Amino acid sequence: MDIDDILREVDPTYHVVPRERRDLQDLTRAWVAERSAPELLHWPAGGLFERIHDNIKRQIEKVEEMTGDMDPKTNFALIVIQTELERFRYLVRSYIRARIAKIDRHALHYLSTDELRSRLSEMELAYATRHQALLHDHYLASFLSSFPPPLQNLNDTAGNITMIDAPDLESAVFIRLLKDTLVEGRGVDADGAMDGRESDIVILRWSDAKPLIDAGSAELV
Amino acid sequence: MALPLPPGLAQAEVAFLAEMELVTVVPRQRLESINLLSGRTPVLRPPHRAPLPLWLALLLKKQRRANIVPPPWLHPTSLSQIIHRETKEDPTAFSAPPPPPSRAHPSQPGMAHRPAADANLSPPFLPSCTADAPAGYLPYHWLEVAEALLAHAGDDMAAPPGEVRGLLRDLVEVRAAKMRSSTSALEGFGGGLMSLRGVGAMELAESRGFVLGVVDGVRRIGASAEATRREEEEMGGRREDDEGSDDDMGI
Repeated sequence: MDIDDILREVDPTYHVVPRERRDLQDLTRAWVAERSAPELLHWPAGGLFERIHDNIKRQIEKVEEMTGDMDPKTNFALIVIQTELERFRYLVRSYIRARIAKIDRHALHYLSTDELRSRLSEMELAYATRHQALLHDHYLASFLSSFPPPLQNLNDTAGNITMIDAPDLESAVFIRLLKDTLVEGRGVDADGAMDGRESDIVILRWSDAKPLIDAGSAELV
Repeated sequence: MALPLPPGLAQAEVAFLAEMELVTVVPRQRLESINLLSGRTPVLRPPHRAPLPLWLALLLKKQRRANIVPPPWLHPTSLSQIIHRETKEDPTAFSAPPPPPSRAHPSQPGMAHRPAADANLSPPFLPSCTADAPAGYLPYHWLEVAEALLAHAGDDMAAPPGEVRGLLRDLVEVRAAKMRSSTSALEGFGGGLMSLRGVGAMELAESRGFVLGVVDGVRRIGASAEATRREEEEMGGRREDDEGSDDDMGI
């Protein structure tokens, strides 16, 4: 233990969660939320992914350096570092793949308004645009070109029926309350409300859960 | 490339999440701090206890570099107490989740703190599986952590692993019965809300597909009835707003 450790221990702010740990918490929460939500959520703000990406890159470089070292002590540290690296990469990969699955399914929907487009990252926007262009070209080549021109659109909204497939925002989700708050949910026979306590697990519709999630009073589980 | 899994965490993903829970280890040899992506690990010096994430603790345990201190709630007396509460005191609801972590840190008596005031912590980042966790409460990842500890650190248990395993099996069955009976409440899922306070992550993952399927099915069947009701309410003025808000399962 050196002087820094002693100083840190008497420092009341020491127990504030360090940056790295908070990034892991944010990433985990984003992953769980993306895996559970019926629609695509906002790409995390504040450069979370850029930071994690840089950290992973740096850690890989460190592993490459350490592999040359045959000392048994660093050898074990290397195993630990690589195990953690794999866990992080799994989280990132699973998160991105969950998002791609949603974009694939409803590409046209997420490209349709500016609000929805802003949820995608730059890369995802490029991917979705390209995906949709390829799909459209393919449809055009295989059958759309033989239709009369007024019927060739893929985003027709004539007659109050939209052709753009959208995710079901009313599907049910599980949420955990992070603080005591009033929870309101719309039901088939009646609308309900309850005074939720911290760490309650509640089933309700996603459209009712979203305001609570956005306000930070609840999280998806 | 896109993830082929349905929405909601699968069992394997829940198990992955549970491996982030902090547990307390007693190191058997020195290990310097390692600079990981999630921050530096504490320096391990026998016989000083240190909190580590479960995956790392299991790795150290397998290499016989550390022993894991089982959390107090995994002690047979605590488990029997929870079983008693689940079966006798409140046979319909799950037992309560652990209380939020105390604001005063044990190493700093009198200095109130909240672990990061801006971020509300939730499992698996709450210290609910360490040696300081309260006995008598099942944390969110209880089943996964208990299984992992029994499978890989059975010799560190306070009691013979067989006894703990037996109690856990009882608990799983009692709670599975509650989960099943909660689905009968789903039948009347007209109120739009249902609370499952105290449920565990694995129990949720197991019945997620069924429960959400039922809720969505009820909604689709009743969609037109709901639309009519809403229209009538809109016509009939705002009388409905004065309804008692504590009646959460109103049918």
